[in-house]
Amino acid sequence: MITIETSGFIPIYEQIKKGVKGEISLGVLKPNQPLPSIRDLAAELVVNPNTVARAYRELELEGFITTRKGKASFVAENSSSLIRGEKERFLEDVFDRAIAEARKFGLDAAEIRRIVESRLKRQEKRSEGEGK
Amino acid sequence: MSELLRTANLGKSFGRHLVFSNLNVKLSAGKVHGLLGLNGEGKTTLIRILLGVIPADTGSIYYKDALLSFRSAAYKEEVGYIPEDPFFFGGMRVGELLDFNAPFYRRWDGRRAEELLKRFSLDRRARIKTLSRGMKLRLEMAVALAARPALLVLDDPTSGLDVPTRHDFLQDIIRELADSGTTIFFSTHLVHELERIVDHLFILHRGRLILDEAYETVKNSIRRVRLAFPGDSPETLGVDGVLVETRDGPRREIVVYPWTDDKKKKIDGFSPTLFHVEPLTLEEIFRSFVAG
Repeated sequence: MITIETSGFIPIYEQIKKGVKGEISLGVLKPNQPLPSIRDLAAELVVNPNTVARAYRELELEGFITTRKGKASFVAENSSSLIRGEKERFLEDVFDRAIAEARKFGLDAAEIRRIVESRLKRQEKRSEGEGK
Repeated sequence: MSELLRTANLGKSFGRHLVFSNLNVKLSAGKVHGLLGLNGEGKTTLIRILLGVIPADTGSIYYKDALLSFRSAAYKEEVGYIPEDPFFFGGMRVGELLDFNAPFYRRWDGRRAEELLKRFSLDRRARIKTLSRGMKLRLEMAVALAARPALLVLDDPTSGLDVPTRHDFLQDIIRELADSGTTIFFSTHLVHELERIVDHLFILHRGRLILDEAYETVKNSIRRVRLAFPGDSPETLGVDGVLVETRDGPRREIVVYPWTDDKKKKIDGFSPTLFHVEPLTLEEIFRSFVAG
């Protein structure tokens, strides 16, 4: 399910891209599975078909989908590994920002490592607790 | 991007009342153009001139790069029109209306007409006067689209319709766009309907176009800025492009177009205690532009 929000900062085509990637990472859309046509998705979301076309074009450039000779677009074979890569980059970015914050407080590498370790341990304990 | 239609210095008055002057409107092929304006600002007058129903006092219209004669029948065949209050001979049946219209258009596509009737669940034998307002709109649309228009002009067609019917209508418009790449010129006072489909935005206000810009550009560069200052807020922020400004003691709210880094720096110089920047919906964008 892709939902579109028009009141925020994120352009509609970005929201569609994010929605398709989300469906791929959740396994709702599987490799080689056809995507809805531009016409159908545009009508369903009540958005301009040019906007859907733009989202599909960019997803294709980024390698998440392929468009075959006719008109239909399909989920690319290696799309899930691309999404893993994208998630990793996202996380790297989150860590970079956290590390930058820590440096602002004057923490050194050893102290940052200690904090990350302790957070990880705490999470592990919590999930063990849930397992029982 | 290829241009389908352009007006040069279009002007119109009714008696001593000047509706607008020096209007330069450009329509790009395959795009959705939204025309917004308060009631009585001349949206319908502009549309009637573009349709060739009434002449302009001054200026000219170019269609596919050729100067348009007011009487050009060939042009009128290429323009589909869906008005606010469609007129029908109520005693006619749906099928009779289609058959009546077909000979007026060289581009008329009989097969398409039948497809549209089916898609819109319109029965050829139904008497038009028995149709609901929503079904009449769909019939109007079937007639307009069967003529395979290059330009589809919509003059506030959804006013008075309920929400689900308007939603269905928008979806029909979207399918038409996807299927035929028809250029659309859409006037409406139900602004949020345009928000998801509009490519280019015109705002007609006090006889001139106060906005003529790609919607994405406007959306990305207009901002509401909420500010608070230690003590009273400064007399002037020295920022131009402020469309709306409200002040309440130390608090201040402005809508700025375009919002830029330079303006941000300028305001930063006043060391505000609250500095919050947010985007606007199309409805709010419209209200901000016509507020002045």
